[in-house]
Amino acid sequence: METQRVQAQEPFVASVGPNANAVPVARGRAIVVTSGKGGVGKTTTTANLGVALAARGARVVLIDADVGLRNLDLVLGLESRIRHHLLDVLEEKVTLDDALVRDKRVENLFLLAAAQNREKDDVPTEAMRGLVEKLRAAYDYVLIDSPAGIEMGFKNAIAAAGEAIVVCTPEVAAVRDVDRVVGLLGNDLSAQLIVNRLRPALVRKGKMLSVDDVNAILRLPLLGVIGDEPEVIVATNRGEPPALAANSPTGAAYRAIAARIAGEDVPAPQAAQAEGFLDKLGAFFGGRAK
Amino acid sequence: MTAQRKARRIVVTSGKGGVGKTTTTANLGAALALLGKRVVLVDADIGLRNLDLVLGVEKRIVFDLVEVVEGRCQLRQALVRDKRFGESLAILPAAQTREKTAVSELQFAGVVEQLAESCDYVLVDSPAGIEHGFRNAIAGAAEALVVTTPEVSAIRDADRVIGKLQERGLPMRLIVNRVRPEMVRSGEMMSVDDVCDILSAELVGIIPDDAEVIDTTNRGVPLVLDPSQRLGAIYTKIARRLEGEIIPFTQLGGGGFFDRLLGALRAG
Repeated sequence: METQRVQAQEPFVASVGPNANAVPVARGRAIVVTSGKGGVGKTTTTANLGVALAARGARVVLIDADVGLRNLDLVLGLESRIRHHLLDVLEEKVTLDDALVRDKRVENLFLLAAAQNREKDDVPTEAMRGLVEKLRAAYDYVLIDSPAGIEMGFKNAIAAAGEAIVVCTPEVAAVRDVDRVVGLLGNDLSAQLIVNRLRPALVRKGKMLSVDDVNAILRLPLLGVIGDEPEVIVATNRGEPPALAANSPTGAAYRAIAARIAGEDVPAPQAAQAEGFLDKLGAFFGGRAK
Repeated sequence: MTAQRKARRIVVTSGKGGVGKTTTTANLGAALALLGKRVVLVDADIGLRNLDLVLGVEKRIVFDLVEVVEGRCQLRQALVRDKRFGESLAILPAAQTREKTAVSELQFAGVVEQLAESCDYVLVDSPAGIEHGFRNAIAGAAEALVVTTPEVSAIRDADRVIGKLQERGLPMRLIVNRVRPEMVRSGEMMSVDDVCDILSAELVGIIPDDAEVIDTTNRGVPLVLDPSQRLGAIYTKIARRLEGEIIPFTQLGGGGFFDRLLGALRAG
């Protein structure tokens, strides 16, 4: 099926910098990570999947499409290494090589940061498409971190993608927003679902939607389920994606998703993640179940 | 309905999504209504509306903001009253199947202006980001509440938004949401003091992280209506601060306030 999708793409036209004459032998996958609602874990997901895919040996480039409100650099701990950004490249002020920041920990992982002092309307959609096409010739995966919302920034983020990962939390507001976004992705962009921040203890008490509840509405292929863990906050603040940590439940969940993306036959996602910090706290308080 | 009243026009914004703008708008609105104020909440998130869900009035929407602007209905026809608050609380819903660009900044400001003539507070729930929807949301406001969480990404976005608010000369105050005191104590989370220092902003509220919010949001019940919810009292305090009451913050930072909060919960 993967082969069919690749063949269905338009013929390769973009030039590839100094290697413009080289014939591109392989074409990477361009995947946008989006959600509609903000704060559901798009950037965390992009960073961790990037790390996990690169740790598997793939060549990966991450694009922060949140011009004006960039954060992917922070989550990766690369904020002090950024010299140039996406718009510098699109406006041909610098070369792609100048702007790509190499990850500190994983080989073959690169970040193309967003401009912080520009507007999303400044991004030329056609140039963005061309850039992603070019990157697909040299990388196995181009992951695009979409901004929240469905305005221009979102439109630019999905414009060049061939596939989509939608991130949703088990909340009615998030489900409603994701449902709207899936509609906007249209039929050309196949979407797969990650359910993030699940608290199994709350689901059991009937105080949180289950993965089945969420997907009864969205009806998307389920790529993975990630539990709500305070370690993610710590990891973000430190700029250390959990995907590299051997004994992190969040990291394990992202590594399983990366394997699934890479085509491995990983067992169906397990909703029963280790119970989070707040669940324990709730038990400590004697529970407030109604 | 003459122009005698003149409401405070406050935008609730953040830059980053998912930090609690809509929950804050709904609960502050509800708290102000319980204090006897007439409040109208405006959902500025055209295309991705959620304020109606948080208040549980989604099935009663007939008209929306875009239809008001396009002259397809009267403003009062589009307002959905939350009957749990008598005549005190109403919401102007966003359109769900339109784009944010369907309304201009001028039109948005006009609607807020018109609403301000017949109530005490207009609270505008801004969408995430700093695009057109954000510019609309701040267009009619005279003050701003910036919601953030103690996470570097949220603080960086809040900082950017505060810059934009300052360009407009909008006075702003800060709400720090989803604070986890244990993590602050163990050094894994920034303290509220840290957040205020970084953003050089005046604090108006501190809200602890509470899993109950997810459930009450899903059920459409504002926290202030449920006496068993500890967060309800916190939103009421913020509402009273907005009203000008001086309610001191008990010891921020690593110690006192949250220790006591936790102690009270253990005891109760």
